[in-house]
Amino acid sequence: MLRDSVINAPAVVEMKGVGIRYDQGPEILSDINLSLKKGSFHFLTGKSGAGKTSLLSLMYLAQRPSRGALGVFGQNVNFANREALAVLRRRIGVVFQDFRLIEHLSAFDNVALPLRVCGMSEKEIKKRVKELLSWVELDKHMFEKTSTLSGGEKQRIAIARAVINRPDILLADEPTGNVDNDIARKLMKLFIELNKLGTTVVIATHSDKLITDFPYPRLHLVNGGLRVFQPFEGIVKGVGI
Amino acid sequence: MTASSLIARKQELPLKDDATGLFLKIMISIAVFLFAVTLAGVLAINSMLTNWNNSILGSLTVQIMPVNNINQEQAREETLSHQEKTLEFLKKLPQVESATALSDNQLQMLLQPWLGDGVSVEELPTPRLIDVRLKKDAEIDFPKLAEQLAEVSPLASLDNHKLWLNKLIRFADGLKMLAMSILLLVIAITSGAIFYTTQTNLGLHRNIIEILHIMGAKDTYVAQQYAHRDFGIGFIGGLIGLCFAVPTIFMIAGLAEQIEGGIISDARLSFASWLLICSLPLFSAFISMITAYYTVKRTLEKMM
Repeated sequence: MLRDSVINAPAVVEMKGVGIRYDQGPEILSDINLSLKKGSFHFLTGKSGAGKTSLLSLMYLAQRPSRGALGVFGQNVNFANREALAVLRRRIGVVFQDFRLIEHLSAFDNVALPLRVCGMSEKEIKKRVKELLSWVELDKHMFEKTSTLSGGEKQRIAIARAVINRPDILLADEPTGNVDNDIARKLMKLFIELNKLGTTVVIATHSDKLITDFPYPRLHLVNGGLRVFQPFEGIVKGVGI
Repeated sequence: MTASSLIARKQELPLKDDATGLFLKIMISIAVFLFAVTLAGVLAINSMLTNWNNSILGSLTVQIMPVNNINQEQAREETLSHQEKTLEFLKKLPQVESATALSDNQLQMLLQPWLGDGVSVEELPTPRLIDVRLKKDAEIDFPKLAEQLAEVSPLASLDNHKLWLNKLIRFADGLKMLAMSILLLVIAITSGAIFYTTQTNLGLHRNIIEILHIMGAKDTYVAQQYAHRDFGIGFIGGLIGLCFAVPTIFMIAGLAEQIEGGIISDARLSFASWLLICSLPLFSAFISMITAYYTVKRTLEKMM
């Protein structure tokens, strides 16, 4: 259930009649209406190809909607200029399904990247990155190139990179897909902690276990449309994930 | 915008050791080699033109035609008396620094390339020459001076070197313009090569650039990364080109000095000219940096 503080909070992402199509193809998503409140926590579900990644890419401002209005942090993305979009993006952390790490850089430099992009001092970067890498139990691999690390380790680096600058929105695409249950629970704990501190979290997942273990509302994509389910709703009714 | 704001403090993109970087380095070294050799040519022609112009402005020659007389001895004496009168007249002119009649020996040396050794000037009806050096910034009305000379001696005529030197100056000016066009072409081709290799490189690293973009990196940040890389490539490429260019310039200068007549020996490179040539790697580094910076900025502006 949504906390009262969340219900009354302003929307950080707002979509009205949003549709997405690529080139001249059919619409992947149609008439999406959504309002993500500050401090909310949602799972994003749907079958493969349902448009989860496309919906997330709208939220992390990688593309504009083909139609409809998209607002992020109260700004209309349809009319925002490049400089303004760059500033908005810095408030959004993204964990990609394929990690998208920069392979020739060390774990430290990958995690430090969002801070360097913001122009933070190297001293502060060093302190923050070491602390976080130690928390995700990767301090031993800090200066190893990410190309030499395992899938699970890469995933933890990707998550550390997404949360290092304490984002206002955290978007994660299958963030626990490559890690064992213990690490998965620990990562979920991290997301929940961030959420308690005010970060809006959206996690795209196929995992039934994750959805049943953590009672958060669910955004479900089906046939190009979006339905919102409260915790446990839908699964019991057989909507399917 | 300052040059330092075009360059990144730290390289985060894997731009250092890829194939486009190597191509660019080779390209720039060739461009700087061509640029340095052509620039040396332009500077040498310039110094030659300055020397020639100074010689036109600073001197003139008065020629006394030989008197026709069957008696050779008498003819020579009459010619020398005309020379003497003319010399006195010239020395009195306020614009003249010095006027010297060429001796028999000097005349003989001038005729030697055409008539060979063993020819006595005294036995030939050769014209006498007076070398006149003018004062600095002296203004001379040449037609009026020619008229005055004719009054002093009907055998005297004026040669201010302009006629034959003007043709040479026009030729040298043409060469200079050609060389300048080559310099502009080299800059254009090099900038074009940097533009296209940078675009190729952006394509190769598109996934990384997208990541930086999604993290909120401004176009300036990514452009600075490329500017950082291309400054280094431009400088090293420039140094390599210069290392090949300097011996080449010395070799061409050596060959030019072997040409007789003293015309080419007027073409010398001053200390300032060498300084300019040696600073070319810095120029190539700056051109590379600026081209890369603006190419990346323009390409990124097409992304959301």
